Amino acid sequence: MVEVDRVEKAERLGRSRSRVFFVLAMVFFAQQAAYFASPAASRASPLQIGAWFVLVILLLLLLATGGFLFKGRKVWDLLNDETARTNRAAAQALGFWVTIIMALAVYVESIFDPLTLNEGLHIIVTTGVGAALISFAVRERRAHQIG
Amino acid sequence: MNRLREMRDARGWTQAELAARVGVSRKTVNTVENRVFTPSTPLALKLADALGVTVEELFWLAD
Repeated sequence: MVEVDRVEKAERLGRSRSRVFFVLAMVFFAQQAAYFASPAASRASPLQIGAWFVLVILLLLLLATGGFLFKGRKVWDLLNDETARTNRAAAQALGFWVTIIMALAVYVESIFDPLTLNEGLHIIVTTGVGAALISFAVRERRAHQIG
Repeated sequence: MNRLREMRDARGWTQAELAARVGVSRKTVNTVENRVFTPSTPLALKLADALGVTVEELFWLAD
């Protein structure tokens, strides 16, 4: 049996997680919108590309693990129990479909307005990861608010 | 369909107490009670075991 305190701690962390993931996704999209709004010449800056790359890896890690790896195994198990795993799987599936649809859209767009490989991949990865993160945050938030 | 809330209330347990007995989050108990989430067979068995009833007494298929 798990202690009730631990369940309540996991509850608080779960609510925080859904909020943090949602805000992270919004910041990620805003950052990428600013990136694409900037002149093409300045986009090749290693700093901007490096920041995007690191952020994508971080968000993928959060999506894969559910986050809060340092809060202890028992709390992490509660945070990532059956409903969280189901929500995460559904979010990852949505991320997959958004990625494929965006890849097709970029393919068609590139026929009329050529894009570099980097630009195309940047758009596809950003939308796929962002969509999965938002979906997980919204599903978790909804699950916490029921009742 | 399930009688999770009714059986939990009958024992005077909170959702967090039942969650602790089963080893899941309060959110999971809450979503099962509200029929938003359908539990897996292992979780249904654990819930029934914690409440001291059979799975059939706790869950059934809607007509």
